[in-house]
Amino acid sequence: MDYLVTIAVLIAIYTILATSYNLVIGYGGLSTVAHPIFFAIGAYTTGLLAVHVPFIPPLGNVVLGMAAAVVASVLLAGSALRVSGDYLLIASLGFQLGLLQLLKNLEFTGGPGGLSAIPSTIVGPMRGPIFLAICGAAALACVFAVRAIVNGPYGRAISAMRDEELAFTALGRNAMSMKIAIFAIGCGMAGGAGGLYAYYFQYLSPDQFDVLASAAILTMVVLGGMGTAFGPVVGAILLLAIPQAITFLQLPPSIMAPTQGIIFTVLVLLFLYLRPSGILGGKA
Amino acid sequence: MLIFSAVSAGYGGVPVLKDISFSVADGEAVAIFGHNGAGKTTLMRCAVGDVAEMTGTVSYRGDAIVPGAVFRNTRRGIGFVPQGHNVFRELSVRQNLTISGLHHPESKVEDIYKLFPILLERGGQAAGSLSGGQQQILALGMALMTKPTILLLDEPSTGLAPIIVRDVMASLTKINRETGTTVVIVEQNIPATLAIVSRAIVVKSGRVVFDGPSKELERKEDLWGLF
Repeated sequence: MDYLVTIAVLIAIYTILATSYNLVIGYGGLSTVAHPIFFAIGAYTTGLLAVHVPFIPPLGNVVLGMAAAVVASVLLAGSALRVSGDYLLIASLGFQLGLLQLLKNLEFTGGPGGLSAIPSTIVGPMRGPIFLAICGAAALACVFAVRAIVNGPYGRAISAMRDEELAFTALGRNAMSMKIAIFAIGCGMAGGAGGLYAYYFQYLSPDQFDVLASAAILTMVVLGGMGTAFGPVVGAILLLAIPQAITFLQLPPSIMAPTQGIIFTVLVLLFLYLRPSGILGGKA
Repeated sequence: MLIFSAVSAGYGGVPVLKDISFSVADGEAVAIFGHNGAGKTTLMRCAVGDVAEMTGTVSYRGDAIVPGAVFRNTRRGIGFVPQGHNVFRELSVRQNLTISGLHHPESKVEDIYKLFPILLERGGQAAGSLSGGQQQILALGMALMTKPTILLLDEPSTGLAPIIVRDVMASLTKINRETGTTVVIVEQNIPATLAIVSRAIVVKSGRVVFDGPSKELERKEDLWGLF
């Protein structure tokens, strides 16, 4: 039961990550590979505050984790987008790699061994279900918040800015501040997901935030349907639940790990062949 | 008044405009002609601050146009219709107009519908599904929603059928005469454009080689060889 709850919590957390990444890359058209590092900024900020500043309530720590991710994202986007949109991709890669090295080498973050002994805020037999309810509610809030943003007047402006930037600015609209706002909102959500992750798992390893995590989140977005509100939810469920489901077959570990990898790859290829615009996307 | 003063500009170190100076008075209708690559589009982009590599000054009504700050420059009453890619294809006609007027609460979509009834007919249609001429009229309507005192149009007749070109040009004349909006139009279609402007500027290899009344250019067809 605990195992299933953990998978469900992971699905909820990755739903937040995929949904926020979809806002940035799918709706905003901003190319970035640094989403996992904003997840890490939120997670480490929350974890470190929980360990070293015990008087701050858990919700306050998660909010501060989100705030740290927002500040870092504004610094990155503000400088990278000033030159050209394409620079954001290169700058985000450098930011991701550089910050990951810092996490691996700084003593107070736990170095390569990671940050452990993050205090649990909820104890007892209902810990898992309560966390699941919190993470599920946060995931739903993110999905509906993004849906509200993109379906409202601001969302139409985002779509206009993404498709025809010169025409958009010619109307007196500030494309730069809009891009930074979208980037900050998406990265802030990722930071919040990081805070929830830190409290649930009570341990953070820098390796889980590497650039490959970006590929996994992007796959969830593309598979579910980029630029759709519920696509990332479907992508997160499929890519996390199906490979985990085969663990119930009780295969030997030497077969299990490669089989999960193969299933992940086959799923991606199959769905992209059958539904190039994603499961919930329109016809390509 | 729009003033270009000793403006030179280019891309990646390659000069496109060389020491351009001219001015456009309020209420004027001016055409800018020139062969492909003469620098007409760059000239327009300098007028809204969309060219980073620029020396000299461009000013509108006393305020300097700041390179790299298109949105700030256009808020000073400059309506800019870029060449192609000037409507938001996924949005409906009405949404395109609404989004254009967000900074101008006094702008009414209905006023644009009165000026261009075809846009009312297509109000709910996605802009990307309109014909080329209808998209051009929509782009014009969008620029008007920003309540401009000057309209800069970069080749609005490109790819349009002659009858549509006539409609677009007639709309520009109406806007210029009825609202006093200054019109600066970059065009390749010389006869249609000369019919609606009072003055013409010819640019060749980045320099102004003719600046005078449109009637003079119309008479002297030998000058047409310049572009």
